[in-house]
Amino acid sequence: MTAYQYLIDSFNDAPSLIKFTWGVSCTLFGAIVILTSYLKLIRATLRKRDIENAKFREDYESTLVEYLYSGSEDEDMNDLQESIIEKLKAAVHIKPKRKIIVSILYNLMNEVSGEMSDSIKVLYFKTGLYNYALARLENKNWHIIAKGIGELTRFKIEEAHDLVKPFIKHPRLEVRKETQLYMVNMFRFNGLSFLNELKTPLSEWAQVQLLETLQKFDDQQICDIKPWLKSTNETVVLFALKLAKLYNQFEVKDTLMELLSHPVKEVRVMVIEVLTNLYGIEAKEMLKANFNVLSLEEQIGFFGLLEKLVVPSDEPFIEEHLFHKNFEIQLLALKILKSINIDKFMGLSNPPENKENKKILKFVNNI
Amino acid sequence: MDTSTVKIILQILHYLFFGYAFAAIASYIILSVISGKETIEYLKKNSFVNYKDILSSTMSPSITIIAPAYNESLNVVENVRSLLSNHYVNYNVIIVNDGSKDDSLEKLIEAYDLEKVDFIINNKIKTQPIRAGVFKSKNPAFEKLMVVDKKNGGKADALNMGLNISKSKYVACIDVDCLLLEDALQKMIKPFLEETNAKVIATGGVIRIANSCVIRGGKLIDVNLPKALLVQSQILEYLRAFLLGRMAWSRLNGLLVISGAFGIFDKEIAIAVGGYDTNTVGEDMEIIVRMRRYMEEKNEKYKVSYIPDPLCWTEAPDSYKIFISQRNRWTRGTIETLKKHRKIGFNRKYGAFGMISYPYWLIFERLAPIIEAVGIIYFVILLILKEVRWEYALSFLILAYIFSVLFSIIALYSEELTFHQYKKKGTGYKLVLLTALEPFVLHPFILYAAIKGNYDYYFNKKKKWGVMQRKGLTSA
Repeated sequence: MTAYQYLIDSFNDAPSLIKFTWGVSCTLFGAIVILTSYLKLIRATLRKRDIENAKFREDYESTLVEYLYSGSEDEDMNDLQESIIEKLKAAVHIKPKRKIIVSILYNLMNEVSGEMSDSIKVLYFKTGLYNYALARLENKNWHIIAKGIGELTRFKIEEAHDLVKPFIKHPRLEVRKETQLYMVNMFRFNGLSFLNELKTPLSEWAQVQLLETLQKFDDQQICDIKPWLKSTNETVVLFALKLAKLYNQFEVKDTLMELLSHPVKEVRVMVIEVLTNLYGIEAKEMLKANFNVLSLEEQIGFFGLLEKLVVPSDEPFIEEHLFHKNFEIQLLALKILKSINIDKFMGLSNPPENKENKKILKFVNNI
Repeated sequence: MDTSTVKIILQILHYLFFGYAFAAIASYIILSVISGKETIEYLKKNSFVNYKDILSSTMSPSITIIAPAYNESLNVVENVRSLLSNHYVNYNVIIVNDGSKDDSLEKLIEAYDLEKVDFIINNKIKTQPIRAGVFKSKNPAFEKLMVVDKKNGGKADALNMGLNISKSKYVACIDVDCLLLEDALQKMIKPFLEETNAKVIATGGVIRIANSCVIRGGKLIDVNLPKALLVQSQILEYLRAFLLGRMAWSRLNGLLVISGAFGIFDKEIAIAVGGYDTNTVGEDMEIIVRMRRYMEEKNEKYKVSYIPDPLCWTEAPDSYKIFISQRNRWTRGTIETLKKHRKIGFNRKYGAFGMISYPYWLIFERLAPIIEAVGIIYFVILLILKEVRWEYALSFLILAYIFSVLFSIIALYSEELTFHQYKKKGTGYKLVLLTALEPFVLHPFILYAAIKGNYDYYFNKKKKWGVMQRKGLTSA
């Protein structure tokens, strides 16, 4: 008791700074005790949730497989299927369970096709999952909206088109991207119509995803990409160039030729790459004539084009650049010369007195 | 000096120490709040992302993994297997055998059926020459692999060789003994592809400690908390640094370091700045500072990004000797980098980089151990002179200790609510206990290593990397 009283008296007599310090220490200590207890609770909850989720997933995976395989051609829905739907309806009210069911359905959707895929879609509607996804579109949090659109995309729900479409102009890039993916997943090339009036940049991430989505479809009939090649949005032009390359769009060669003088270097470099792919022999003379004013990347790209489309009449031009100061160009020039005139190449016994040049020459000679 | 002058000087010193400690604590609080916000934003952004498309797309950009190896014979075959098991489609692996004196190359040749190939290297960055040659596998299953055997030049030189050889747009520079998760590349490449307002020049990832974890066939099977207190303490330290520190710097676009264990770079920029500096032991920090400086001087908008997902697992030192050697090197690396780029510090021309990031590193990273050591010496002097005012000393010491414990607990919280890697029962209790022990188990050694690093930097110039002995993850 005396010791306690001594501590109290010492504290009361202490300067304000010390009182303050002890006060803060006690508060922080209290916070540690509370946080530690809460941490214990969180860990226990997470562990319990993981176990429950695993069990629930196992149960429902078999239930859903049972649903899929119990269907028959002659009836719309049998008793077993009806009872499974009722069971699922009861489960989807609970958010974590709903999440698991959606993930199982999505995995199944990836594994099956045709009637079974349609059957999953029916289930998606009948269990009320569709309504939950639509409710997400009305959420004030952008990431919930994006999740909702993503889910509708995965289950190929065309019926939600009118509700999803307005999000193409959402202020958040992520929501716009999910909407774009939805449109392309549902309507293939027609879904790319948003490109006509796209003012914001289309990220490379979004471009890769859109291209991958398009490539999943068997129908490779592409729409007219010329308007996008002429877009004022350079990312749209770059995306259209990728489409031209991927779908061998020979009919846009003229537009590509015009794009060789596009103000953005990245576009010009990409155009040369696409023309190489499309055997754009027409570009050769123009690029040769302007070679010295091209950027280094364009020059390298052009030599890449020549490697593929070279003809004997290109030899004088190649010879001019045999010992170009750039490594890639020098290497390509020597390779090209070797391919069109092996005698002349073999005659290159006296390259400029440069160790690197000799090394490249020796390397090309050996390949 | 009369007594009153001495008293005034002492008073000023007290206020300086107090002010420094207060500023350090305030900076930790501010950074952890910003980190929290950034982590939430990151989780939201990635909660609906479909990585599968990027994974399988041949349109996704190419990445070269560059892994320097020096005397890694013990684990090199398994480690390379792990690097080759990534799910990303458009990537290749270059192992640079940096003049190993052991049989690393022979083991690789045998395990991967390698043969010497004709190869010409564009020496954009000067490096040590090739020794035995460039090797590729005869087996199509290992077509992504290339092994380059060169004369020893150090880690930076080996990475530069990889930069010269790579034909990809992006390079992932990693330690060969690191375990990369299969989805590491697509997650790390995302910031480069999704950013449209600025050029992303580099992305760093979280490094996790793999000691005691179960790894089979180059894959992480089970995460365990190691038994050694030193390694446990490093786990806590890494959680604090990565979850509560670097996320904030990422949001502020002020990251000055990407761990040498795993980072992805825009190859063009890395080459434009001359690659890794072979004259520093802190090449991982130095290249980032140089790349940033380059972009600032070119007046181009840029970003250094950071991914909080646990994608890269590595072996941490489990002996105090190796630990001290590692931290000594980190300290020297920081000093060298900050000194080399001192022009940036407090220079408005470099914006937030010069006015926030550099000063923070200088004051709270570079000078912290020195100030702490001076504080300890000063305290001892006061103790000898019997001038310690115990009521103040005790209350501040306890406050500092309690704050450090609380800060570590918040880091644990962050981990539990985000990535929740240490799931096993009883681990949470051990980690909480560790928050109380770590200031005694780890911090004194960090301080000692940092002071020794300072001493070695100024008085022992010959000291370079030091040896990091590894036991290997595969046997864990």
